[in-house]
Order: sequence, then structure tokens, then C-alpha cells
Amino acid sequence: MAVCSTTTLSIGGSVFSGQLRHWEPNESKLFQKPRSRFRWLCLNDLHLLRFRTKTLNFNPRGSLLPSLYAYGKEADDAFLSKVNEDTDEMFDDLMKKHGEVVFRKNERKSPSAELDDDTESLSFAVEMAKVASDVKAADIRVLFVKPLVYWTRFFIIATAFSRPQIDAIGSRIRDLAEKKYGKVPSGDAKPNSWTLLDFGDVVVHIFLPQQRAFYNLEEFYGNATLIELPSETQPPFHT
Amino acid sequence: VIGASNRRYAHIGDVIVAVIKEAVPNTPLERSEVIRAVIVRTRKELKRDNGMIIRYDDNVAVIIDQEGNPKGTRIFGTIARELRQLNFTKIVSLAPEVL
Repeated sequence: MAVCSTTTLSIGGSVFSGQLRHWEPNESKLFQKPRSRFRWLCLNDLHLLRFRTKTLNFNPRGSLLPSLYAYGKEADDAFLSKVNEDTDEMFDDLMKKHGEVVFRKNERKSPSAELDDDTESLSFAVEMAKVASDVKAADIRVLFVKPLVYWTRFFIIATAFSRPQIDAIGSRIRDLAEKKYGKVPSGDAKPNSWTLLDFGDVVVHIFLPQQRAFYNLEEFYGNATLIELPSETQPPFHT
Repeated sequence: VIGASNRRYAHIGDVIVAVIKEAVPNTPLERSEVIRAVIVRTRKELKRDNGMIIRYDDNVAVIIDQEGNPKGTRIFGTIARELRQLNFTKIVSLAPEVL
């Protein structure tokens, strides 16, 4: 992937610049096969470094500790070989052998705490979806997007058939959120053909049918897992 | 720059009024059409309170309509997180990467 763009990140004063250029493979044993993406195993905490395809730094001497790990070091040597799928595994092995965690953010919550937050947001999201279905919004979907985006946890997508209905859904959701959870959404104030309510962990999108077809958010987030909703259109079970 | 009287420079997150100089054929946009756009990437650095500075390689804006909905369906490239605070979560939700 020869993307000739440079993104420069400067953290705390020291500047890293990663540049992707075409690089002819040299005779070094370690770089026999050209490689594709390189997964940052050590520093997955930092969201910055997820952009593995854009900024990559390698010490050309052969030691595979990416210099990006050591903060404060100027990482000026950067090159990228022609990409190929084969070397992912090779680099994984080398990382296991030589890689070490140099820096870890301390704010990382423990997995159990994160799960609690997730369930809280999930219950919030399901409640919002219920409110939307009360107002007769169509095609409500709750998507769990946490593995895809880091800035939110859940998406709720709903279709409303008229602007007053959008307004109604929006105001009901706002009221419920404020009363029960104390969350105030940032989002559109006036009803828009695409109304968005941003509750931090949960983002609610309300579309008109044409907009939904036009923007097609479900396709964009096709990898997100859909959450089952207790649908009220199902006939109640009589035992 | 919308919302700021006669400001000289706009930054990331500002809505600007612009005119189209060049248009790719077969799009619903035509040359010399006056449009509104939100700036999403600039070559001038963007500073954050925690000391992070972000500078992109290009200047990019996303065309929006009067209501603030993006005119296109997809967005290419990275978007800065600041747009979310400025109520452009729509653009952020269409972005492939948020920095």
C-alpha cells in the first residue's frame, strides 16, 4: 500500500514523523519478504498507534524494536518495504521474541470495570430503543461499535417518517435520558432530516427514509454486532 | 467563516462559505456553486489541551448543506476528535478513522 502521505504527531514536544516511501528490499535476512500491516502489540492502549498503516518506524539496523515505542527518541529513520501478506506471522514471532513493553498508560481500566460500563451503556441504549419503538419509529437497530470505533460504544439507528415524529422521538429520548440517567445529549436542537443525539457512549441517529438509504450507515458499520432487542411487535406468549 | 464576523482565518471545525473551483464530472456539484463546508483537516497544527499537536498533510473540508448534514455519503481519511465537541458527530460517525 503505497500511500504517500505523512501524518506528523508531536507528543510532549518530541516529534515523530512517519513517512511511507517505496523501499527496495535489501539483502538483510530479516527483511526477505516484504510485509503488510504490522500490529502494535505493546501499545494498543494508545489510540494513536492504532493507525498502523500510516505511521511506521523501523530501525534499519535490523533490530525490530520499532523506535516509536521509546518516547522521547527522534524517529527519523522510517521506511517501508513493498507490502505482502506473508510476513505478518514472521513479525509476530519476532515481536514475541524481542518486543517489550516500554510504556503503558496507567489509566486503563480493568476488563471487569470496562464490562460493567458496557452493560450500563447497553441498558441505556436498549431503553432508548424502547422509547423509539413507543413512538412508532421503524427499523430500530442497536449496534455495538466498541471494537470498531473508540469514541463511542453503541449506535442506535432509527427511521422516522416525518419531521414532527423525529422531533417527538428526539424530545422523548432527551427527557428520559435526563430524568433517569442524568445525561444531557449534545446534538441537533432543531429537527433535521438526520437528527443525531450524542450521549457520550451512545449515539442515536434518527433518519428519514430517504436519508437512511442515502447514507447507509449500516453498511458502513457492517462489522458491528447487532444487538437483539425485545421487540414489541412480536405477539405476546400466552402460556 | 460562519458565525464570526470577518474573521481572517478558519480552523478545524469552522463552517466556511466557499465556491467550487473545480468539480469532478458526474457529481451533483458544479463549478462556481456557492456551498458551505466544514474544515476537517489543515496543514496548520491543531493544539490540544494535553499538549498533543496534530498536523495533517492537506487541507480538507466536508461540504454540508444548510442544515448541517454532509452532502456526501462517505468521508475519506482521518478526522480529528474535536469535531465531535463542535456538534459534527455526523461527520465523525462517517469517518473511517478518528484521531
